[in-house]
Amino acid sequence: MVKIVVVGGGWAGCAAALAAAKCGADVVLLERTDLLLGTGLVGGIFRNNGRYTAAEEAIAMGGGDMFVAMDANARHKDIKFPGHNHASLYDVTTMEPLIRKVLQNYGIVIKTKARVVDIIKYGKKVQGVILDNGEITTGDAFVDTTGSAGPMGNCLRYGNGCAMCILRCPSFGPRISLTALAEIKEIMGQKMDGTYGAMSGSCKINKDSLGEELRVKLEKEGVAVLPIPENIQRKSSLGKKACSQYALPEYAANLILLDTGHAKLMTSYFPLDDLRTIPGLESARYEDPYAGGIGNSMRYLGIAPSNNSLQVLGMDNLFCAGEKSLILVGHTEAVVTGLLCGHNAVRYCLDMQYLELPRTIACGDFIMFVHECMNQDEGLKLRYTFAGAAYFERMKNLSLYSTSRAEISARVAEAGLTDIYNTCLI
Amino acid sequence: MKNLSLYCIDINSRYCPCLLAETNHCVFCSQLKGEESCNCNWQGVCVLYEQHWQKKNSAHTKEPLRSEITTKFSITEELAKDIYLLKFSVPQELAKELNKPGAFVFLRAPGDEHFCRFPVGVMKVSENEAYVVIEKIGPKSTRLFFNNNTELVVRGPYHNGMFGQPWIDKITGGKILLIAGGMGQPPALPAAIKLSQNHNKIVAVLAPGKVGHIFIAKELANLGIDLRPVVSMRKNGLPLLKELLIEKPDLIVSAGPDEQHYAIVNVLQDQGLDIPMAATNNAPMCCGEGICGSCIKETNDNKKIRTCKVQTDFTYLIPY
Repeated sequence: MVKIVVVGGGWAGCAAALAAAKCGADVVLLERTDLLLGTGLVGGIFRNNGRYTAAEEAIAMGGGDMFVAMDANARHKDIKFPGHNHASLYDVTTMEPLIRKVLQNYGIVIKTKARVVDIIKYGKKVQGVILDNGEITTGDAFVDTTGSAGPMGNCLRYGNGCAMCILRCPSFGPRISLTALAEIKEIMGQKMDGTYGAMSGSCKINKDSLGEELRVKLEKEGVAVLPIPENIQRKSSLGKKACSQYALPEYAANLILLDTGHAKLMTSYFPLDDLRTIPGLESARYEDPYAGGIGNSMRYLGIAPSNNSLQVLGMDNLFCAGEKSLILVGHTEAVVTGLLCGHNAVRYCLDMQYLELPRTIACGDFIMFVHECMNQDEGLKLRYTFAGAAYFERMKNLSLYSTSRAEISARVAEAGLTDIYNTCLI
Repeated sequence: MKNLSLYCIDINSRYCPCLLAETNHCVFCSQLKGEESCNCNWQGVCVLYEQHWQKKNSAHTKEPLRSEITTKFSITEELAKDIYLLKFSVPQELAKELNKPGAFVFLRAPGDEHFCRFPVGVMKVSENEAYVVIEKIGPKSTRLFFNNNTELVVRGPYHNGMFGQPWIDKITGGKILLIAGGMGQPPALPAAIKLSQNHNKIVAVLAPGKVGHIFIAKELANLGIDLRPVVSMRKNGLPLLKELLIEKPDLIVSAGPDEQHYAIVNVLQDQGLDIPMAATNNAPMCCGEGICGSCIKETNDNKKIRTCKVQTDFTYLIPY
């Protein structure tokens, strides 16, 4: 029997576990905190712009379970906000148990509060991981989806300090990178000024703390755009953000709120006193991070070098996905890389040729393009997403962007990848 | 029981971050070792954060180093030739800090240079009196008794006198084998006290060693510990140990010279047993602050650790 150990239970790890289980492997998913989904617990935006195409590709390839669950749990569908079309917002407050259920239905063993602190390595092979209670989990192949955000010391050195975000490092212990434990040198993303890291791009306001009128509008329409008084506009803060698809002038002049269950505020942080001068936000308080008035989590501080099969370079049986694999932003990006990486981890165990997604589909082009960009210094200062910035432009130019399910599944079929993730390999 | 990864005994205490952090030599925080990003394993308060806040509050910086106090001492008992049981009074706060397994202090005579101080494990704390046993052997310990001196300078508290200390602190309701010989007796007593407070069942093998005297027997008996005195640890103690291991203890505490620790590890290996062992830290020390380097030992995976601060499993210090 093939056993895959996935370390890190964010969207990427969940998708990797799912893909490996679909191939027929025994899968153990280890998560440091007591909740799956990681920053997906406070995210919520999907199917906006090119992410629609990517989600449909995953569905056509047979790995759509996560997107089906998001769709089923969407609070709003087909909404528009500056720079973004046909976005869906899943309900962040109810998403986690749903995904847990999906994974359990595939027989995946989920271990929470199971923080990996060390690995057992022999040559280029990981043989096992050691949890902080001393327990050893062995496996045939390993997936590093430990992310690139936090812990506190990184947020202090490269950001504005620990803002007490959903990652909850002080409570559950710091993020530990499998790749770093395997003594593989990691890559660090940069800000435009060349310093390391980037700040998470949104914070969340408690919806009950909004003015009644604003709250009703937000719940009805899914989006609210509030002009920021000129005296408190901060145009310079955009370069620090992780999510460059929102680094648009509209976002400097307006506060954009989205209803994800929280009132998601599309800016990294916003001083509370200033925030409360805006009509409707007089009593606002932050839900995530708790200190959203001063800062947010810092990310891209530990990315594994990988090839287009998402195998960690320098290791044989270690694969990576999500932010651990590329400077990418978003759940959709995490899920599509997670699926590929979990699938390839099983292929490793069966001595099969690795799957590489071709450039004729958006997911394939995305992984290859981001890898190419990350080889250049300037590329480390950009973030990549199907939803905007440089990559969405490229998607449109290459005619990879589509919102037609029929067209997308035809492309996937042409590449010979229909239901590839649904095929049991063992 | 939980594996012990290397960690600093002073982490998150009032002595952390210490002088080592100031120069990027912290034994724990990767960033305070000069690395570019976080790569630690600590589940407590972030050390880098602590340093950040302390720098911010530099107007009222706390004293990062231990204080020194001059106090009178008296010889309670001459246990053997040149081996004395001493007591001296210390402030209440220090007394509290010293009343733990593995606690030790540095002592010197008041007029002596700082480099004359030497480490001594605390055997017992009663009210505000600390008890230590000193063997007048080297130049430093001999100086303390020079010219009928009755005063000493005590510097403390230090806490890394015992490897595997977290095991001693955490185990409850377990079976413990305590092995103490000669000058290992003083550090054995606080460990025994802590272990019996936590309702552990303790069997103690005691040997007189060079002291020629088992002087903690009465105190151990008062704790309800099953005593097995032997004449010689090597000749009688080790064979007895083999018998006692049939009971499969949860933890072994070895208080004595490194040779004793090695001998016990050998017995365990011979019998194919994997039982955690706490062991007294016998490394020579001069400063106790991780600066001087005299206590550095190499682990069997080639890491150099400053044993005055770094807690580890003693078996990691035995070369393969």
